[in-house]
Amino acid sequence: MRIPRLRPAAALLLVPLLAGCFVAAPGDPYGDDGGAGSGGGARLRVALAFPPAENYSPYGMDAYDLSRLGVVEGLTRLDANGTAVAALAESWYAEGNGRDWLFALREATFHDGTEVTAAAVADSLTRAALAEPPPGALSGIRLTAEAAGDRLVRVSTEEPDPVLPLRLSNPSLAVFAPSAFTGDRVNPAGTATGPFVLTTTTGDTAASLDRFDGYWGGRAHASGVDVRYISDGTARANALRTGEVDVAEAVPVAQVPALDPDTVHEINTARNTSLYLNTSTGLFTDAALRAAAREAIDTAAVADGVYEGYAEPAQGLYGPALSWAAGLRGAPTGRTADPAEPDGAALTLATYNDRPELPETAQVVQQQLERAGFTVRLEVRGYAQLESDLLAGAFDAAVLSRNMMLETGDPVTVLASGYTCEGSFNPALLCDPAVDALTEAARAEAGPAQRQQAAIRAEAAVLGTDAEIPLVHLKVVTGIRPGVTGVVLDPYERELVGAGTRR
Amino acid sequence: MSTTRNPGGIPARRRGPALLWRGALLAALVCAIGLLPWLSRTDPALTVLKARALERTADPETLRAVRDELGLDDGPLVLLGRWLGGLARGDAGRSWVSGTEVAPVVGHALGVSLLLMAGALVVALATAAAICGRPLWRGARLRPGGRAGGGGRGGSAALAALPEFLIASLLVAVVGVRLGWLPASGWYGPAWMVLPSLALGLPAGAVLGRLLADALPGAFAEQWVPAARGRGLPPGTLARHALRRAVAGLLPNLGLFVVGLTGGAVAVEQIFDIPGLGRLTLRAALAQDLPVLQLGVLALVALAALAAALVRLGVGALIGPALRDGALQAAHRPGGTRRRWGAPLGYGLVLAAVVALGLPRDPLALDTGLRLTAPSWAHPLGTDALGRDVLARVAHGALTTLGTAVAVSAAALLVGLLLGLVPRLSGPLAETVNAVPAVPAALLITGVVGGGPWTPAVAVAAVAWTPLATHAGSLLLQERAALHVTASRALGAGRGHLLRRVLLPAVLPPVLRHALLRLPGIALSLAALGFLGIGAQPPSPEWGLVLSENQPYVERAPWAVLAPAAVLALLGALAVTAAGAARRGEPGAAGAPGARWRRRRAVRAAAAGTAPSGTAPDTARERMPQ
Repeated sequence: MRIPRLRPAAALLLVPLLAGCFVAAPGDPYGDDGGAGSGGGARLRVALAFPPAENYSPYGMDAYDLSRLGVVEGLTRLDANGTAVAALAESWYAEGNGRDWLFALREATFHDGTEVTAAAVADSLTRAALAEPPPGALSGIRLTAEAAGDRLVRVSTEEPDPVLPLRLSNPSLAVFAPSAFTGDRVNPAGTATGPFVLTTTTGDTAASLDRFDGYWGGRAHASGVDVRYISDGTARANALRTGEVDVAEAVPVAQVPALDPDTVHEINTARNTSLYLNTSTGLFTDAALRAAAREAIDTAAVADGVYEGYAEPAQGLYGPALSWAAGLRGAPTGRTADPAEPDGAALTLATYNDRPELPETAQVVQQQLERAGFTVRLEVRGYAQLESDLLAGAFDAAVLSRNMMLETGDPVTVLASGYTCEGSFNPALLCDPAVDALTEAARAEAGPAQRQQAAIRAEAAVLGTDAEIPLVHLKVVTGIRPGVTGVVLDPYERELVGAGTRR
Repeated sequence: MSTTRNPGGIPARRRGPALLWRGALLAALVCAIGLLPWLSRTDPALTVLKARALERTADPETLRAVRDELGLDDGPLVLLGRWLGGLARGDAGRSWVSGTEVAPVVGHALGVSLLLMAGALVVALATAAAICGRPLWRGARLRPGGRAGGGGRGGSAALAALPEFLIASLLVAVVGVRLGWLPASGWYGPAWMVLPSLALGLPAGAVLGRLLADALPGAFAEQWVPAARGRGLPPGTLARHALRRAVAGLLPNLGLFVVGLTGGAVAVEQIFDIPGLGRLTLRAALAQDLPVLQLGVLALVALAALAAALVRLGVGALIGPALRDGALQAAHRPGGTRRRWGAPLGYGLVLAAVVALGLPRDPLALDTGLRLTAPSWAHPLGTDALGRDVLARVAHGALTTLGTAVAVSAAALLVGLLLGLVPRLSGPLAETVNAVPAVPAALLITGVVGGGPWTPAVAVAAVAWTPLATHAGSLLLQERAALHVTASRALGAGRGHLLRRVLLPAVLPPVLRHALLRLPGIALSLAALGFLGIGAQPPSPEWGLVLSENQPYVERAPWAVLAPAAVLALLGALAVTAAGAARRGEPGAAGAPGARWRRRRAVRAAAAGTAPSGTAPDTARERMPQ
């Protein structure tokens, strides 16, 4: 009689067999010494928010993770002012026709010990340009690259491209050794040029990096980096609070007050949250109602009430992270209509919940619009479920968050895609001759200063249409344990761990 | 020891059709998932692109490239055929999103989830043991004619009503972060298992314990108990035999629970950062990454089949011979001698008071200046993240939440009972449906029925019937093997009569109580579908929505989460205690149809000195005609 009763218990004996089902710990996540490696310097423990989606393919968003971890580099990089500065290329200039650029390489070695040659760089860029689908930084661009000398690379585009050096700062155009291209995929482990070498990866949950002793910029302070990908914001903040990681990126606003104030480091980003009004169908085709909506919005309530001060009330499309914008900005142009009385006009306001603050923002906006006399119905979905309906004009209005500098770091690119008739991501479905003309003029400008001025003129025209009502410019909070220094806080979210980061 | 090779009471010749049916269901499921993008009319190239890079602009050229890369233009049937062909060669394909091989990824996630489930199972069994400890203790020491009470009904029902994510969030915040006793996130060793296992196991164990405690008094009321007591068997032995008798009816539900937890622990996996199968299939479903989703679901369905086989073996080992020989006694409780209306009345009054106090308040008026204020006279339950009155939201949400949840529960109960009547048909169906994680299931159903206002209710009801049908099926199996049914049949009772007058009255009450126990869970599932764009939308004060929108603030403003969770728990306690109090004289009571047979059989059994039916099958077999 006893035997059958024990059978379920016997099944539990199988449990130890499953012990292989734990994740191999990156370093020792609970130890405090971090396993000092050879040559001094403790290992850093970093929690990133976005797990690699494409197994570290350098042609997608995973390139940003690799760039944030100091594994990959391109020919150029963006500095805090949004201009291209030297990385693997020491200097560059455009040849006469504006279609060809010559980049002079610095002396550097790949992680596999081979030298960074012009041929290797040209091959690497050519492969990126031929990738299917192509990297976002190259959408609409045909790029070719060839060695023009031992340390000289010629990069050419079909049409003159004044922002090519900015474009090449994109992490998905990073440079890899020929050995990266031997298998059926591009393998960034041990083939890039940054201060850290990607050594082991554990699916999309963890990765381990070692210091690269041959880095051209000098050996990194930290002996290595143990990376954990924690997509849940609360879990990321908790890992920092319990001391399981030294650095946690993108701590959600809701979790910031729970952190030790010493660990909170904020920086302005080029990301905005805005209210977009559908100018092609529905009630907001009426400019007077758009003006009424603009009058109804109180951006301070969003900045303080929802973002708890980790955002600034919006001034325009380009926020304080782009330091040049505020000095150039004038009043919005082309406003003709006076605000009309909404009289209970009904509208659907859409937003997505991938960013936790957006549904709250949408509810605040809803209340403000209703006080002004609109009748508002909310529609909240996941972003992937929302986008195609959004771009098809299914909603009257939408609260979206958008990085104005995502792919190229060029202020004009986002204008062309976001606010022109031909724009590929134009949530307001705006098609305004004045905006199109000013954007076209801005695209032709070559000098950075002239380009910025032209972009600001186009911004004024966009704001004049009331197609987008900017709500707030966002800050991002990086959690850094006391004692950890040299973490790079980058408004473009491309850098985090660098050669100078240590603890 | 019995030599039966026929556990579960299903003759061997009927196994063939059952296997066929299971195979057909599996094939239908795999095909349905293969057709998912075409059913839901969502371009997989778009969802895959968005899974790779959320903010990547989906221009036609990029989508074309993705479509070519995945071969989507070949159409669903060719894709499915190719995938099945590869599977036959042992190649499960590559993920559409990441391009990595699917099999190792799913295998590792399955291992993690199984381990997590094992931990949760230990906690759940301990919880269940704690809950039914008292009825077991009292039942084993009962004097003849006494009544074994359920005991602690409200408390365990309240625990069963608590959402997993709330327990998880509280455990992380208090034990993991504040006290620092156990690691708060990750999955690196046994220490990391404790908190997630508790979060998953406590509510599930409460459900199981509640069901077990519900069945125990019936077991103690069987005629072998006085006989055994008369022979001087110690209470411990009695308790063991009674437990064995009651557990048999619950094992199928335990199987469902095990499989459901393996694939459905998404919230807990997120909060504790565990790379399990729930998160994997959720991401794959949203991205329409079909190779991952198909293999993930296939693994879960295989697990479900394995669990079902083990359950059959278990039931066979526990009461198999008695089942086969029709030597069981009806597993009802004796008619209630005393109805306890005190507890449900109390719970109901508190609930009504909360609603009455909150209804005059405005649930939508937001004032971000009052964000997350603690309870005060002005806001007795505090305010939420947008400065809205929590009391008002809870009260106003009660009406919509309860309305839909009750409707869905009723539908699930009806479907569950009807399908439970044909267990051979519904058993594999319930196990297969239960194995599919919630989000893919909801996406499939949305694809089929479209996105109407009733879609979330249909999607939840489509899954909610499974535990009820399983419960009804296993009770029915035992009931059909009961002596009094044989006797009724011998006296010429037709099938309809048997069903109406004997079987249904016996099965309905415990299944109804089970349905009520799961009512709060249904309210939560309804809200969980909101992020797919179906179901309740903000700013509606629907309870599930109120809970999920305040989850990020559980540490800073616990009242905003605890208040709706408390009313949900209150609802659970009310439902279960009320059902317990309303228990009528079930067939065991005088005047009920089965009673005559029961009395005669009791006399006969006493005369023959029949030993406990399930526990001494050899004896029982000797006494019964072959």
